[in-house]
Amino acid sequence: MDTAENKRSIIVGVFVLLGVAVFVIGVLTLGGQQKSFVKSIHISSVFNDVSGLKKGNNVWFSGVKVGTIKNIHFTGPSQVDVIMSIDASTQQYIHRNAGVRISSDGFIGNKIIVIDGGSPQAPIVRDGDVLQSEKLLSTDDIMKTLQQNNQNLLAITTDFKSLSHQILAGKGTVGALLADSTMGNQLKQTMRNLQAATQNAANMSSQLNNFSNKMNTKGGFADNVLTDTITFNRIRASVSRLKEAADNATLLTDNLNKASNKLNSTDNIMGVLLNDPKGAAKVQSTLDYLQQSSVKLNDDLEAVQHNFLLKGFFKKKEKAKQDSIKKAM
Amino acid sequence: MDSVNNTTSPVPSRVKKMRTKLAAFFLMLYRVYAFVMRFFKEVFLPPYEFKEVIRQCYETGVRSFTLITLTGFIVGVIFTKQSRPSLTDFGATSWLPSLVSIAIMKALAPLVTALIAAGKVGSSIGAELGSMRVTEQIDAMEVSGTKPFKFLVCTRVIATTITIPLLATYTAFIALLGGYLNVSQNEGTTYAVFMDQAFEPLTFVDFWASLIKAIVFGFTIGIVGCYQGYNSTKGTEGVGKAANGAVVTAMFLVFIEEVLIVQIAGWFR
Repeated sequence: MDTAENKRSIIVGVFVLLGVAVFVIGVLTLGGQQKSFVKSIHISSVFNDVSGLKKGNNVWFSGVKVGTIKNIHFTGPSQVDVIMSIDASTQQYIHRNAGVRISSDGFIGNKIIVIDGGSPQAPIVRDGDVLQSEKLLSTDDIMKTLQQNNQNLLAITTDFKSLSHQILAGKGTVGALLADSTMGNQLKQTMRNLQAATQNAANMSSQLNNFSNKMNTKGGFADNVLTDTITFNRIRASVSRLKEAADNATLLTDNLNKASNKLNSTDNIMGVLLNDPKGAAKVQSTLDYLQQSSVKLNDDLEAVQHNFLLKGFFKKKEKAKQDSIKKAM
Repeated sequence: MDSVNNTTSPVPSRVKKMRTKLAAFFLMLYRVYAFVMRFFKEVFLPPYEFKEVIRQCYETGVRSFTLITLTGFIVGVIFTKQSRPSLTDFGATSWLPSLVSIAIMKALAPLVTALIAAGKVGSSIGAELGSMRVTEQIDAMEVSGTKPFKFLVCTRVIATTITIPLLATYTAFIALLGGYLNVSQNEGTTYAVFMDQAFEPLTFVDFWASLIKAIVFGFTIGIVGCYQGYNSTKGTEGVGKAANGAVVTAMFLVFIEEVLIVQIAGWFR
């Protein structure tokens, strides 16, 4: 074997070795991706509809690829049993009460199995376990919802159409507003009034502001009330007295009230006088009798004055009166 | 026979031509079958021409390496570049690694390698054996006791069957590298992420299908080149026809095999 032939053989050997190495690396990389060379467990789940899920599709847990679909076959009347190969290193994180659902890798991506949920209280999943499947929200379901939304949108736009027709026809408040110039003017006037009211409110606010500033002026009444303890004590004393006066007034009012109540009742003289008509008639007749009696008494006394027994006494009294008048003059 | 038929029952010339062509076609099929069977018969029997196999591996494999590397790299870059606008329309440029790897690993790597090899190696084998046939070197080898079929055909077919899968593997790697460079330049994707996404959609079925495809393509290119060259006639003109026939037939068969193998691989998915 000459040198050239040796060289050629070596080159061919290197060529083949490199080719085989690249191939083996490819196989190992693919095996790593497919989890073919790692220890795995098999778990399954039964679905009513797998929506095109295929053998070899990925299995995700908490967003991490943990395995692949190993097998898919029919079971029961029309259900589908999906067997998953799960990387044994992730087994400890998956619990028996975890849910399994079919999802998609992106909006138009491959179908995947997603394992989620599961509480730490539940035991860890084991080889051969069957996990509970969750109902898939299919594209059909989404389309149904969208269809419903479309119908709602159509109803809304129809209502708006009818509304706009009515507005254009000048019906309703908004239509009248748009069509009736008088109402427009009124609205303008209202707006002006509102503007004026707003201006007034602003002025008032400004005045209130000034007032509050004044209240804060050092030495002012309000400031004294708020800051000077002597003034405050005086005011408190005044208020206390005012309260006493008010209490007395209340008492007085109560007494007056009681008195007036008594006046309204007929169990006392005044009440009888004020409220009892019979009593009043009796008093009236009594007064009449008294008047008549006094007239008669007057006549009787007049007669007494002219009596000879007392005539001298009354003459002396008249004379003393005349004397006192003269002295005074 | 023909003259007898002409005199006893005259047949229209068109039908006669058809019959002749059909007969020639089936005869050619038989010859190909016999050639392939002879290959399988002799390849496992001693003596084994290891040195010649290595020499042919060098000629077909190592000498094609530069061309294959360049072609694979260009295919990777161009395919990635041309695929980007379509994916950009969907906002799915992150799928470029997956798309490129599916295309390269499943179809382009074995196919491009086979087509390049059919052009370079197939024509070379056809021309070489054809010239040996027309210059009666093969006859001389037979006379001298050397088994020309084993030495010339078996070694070349073995060499192409070994080297073309290796070249296809190189092509896949280099094309993926080209795709990565383009994706990295435009999307800033790292090598690890690119390779992770590239192998994500692939399965072992794809991998083995591509390998088997490359082996079948290698065998086809070798056997077609050898058949055309080994059975060439009509002097120097026959050499050209053998080289041309080797390329055209090999390419045609490569495409047919591609379809068949893809179909068969689909049954295993």
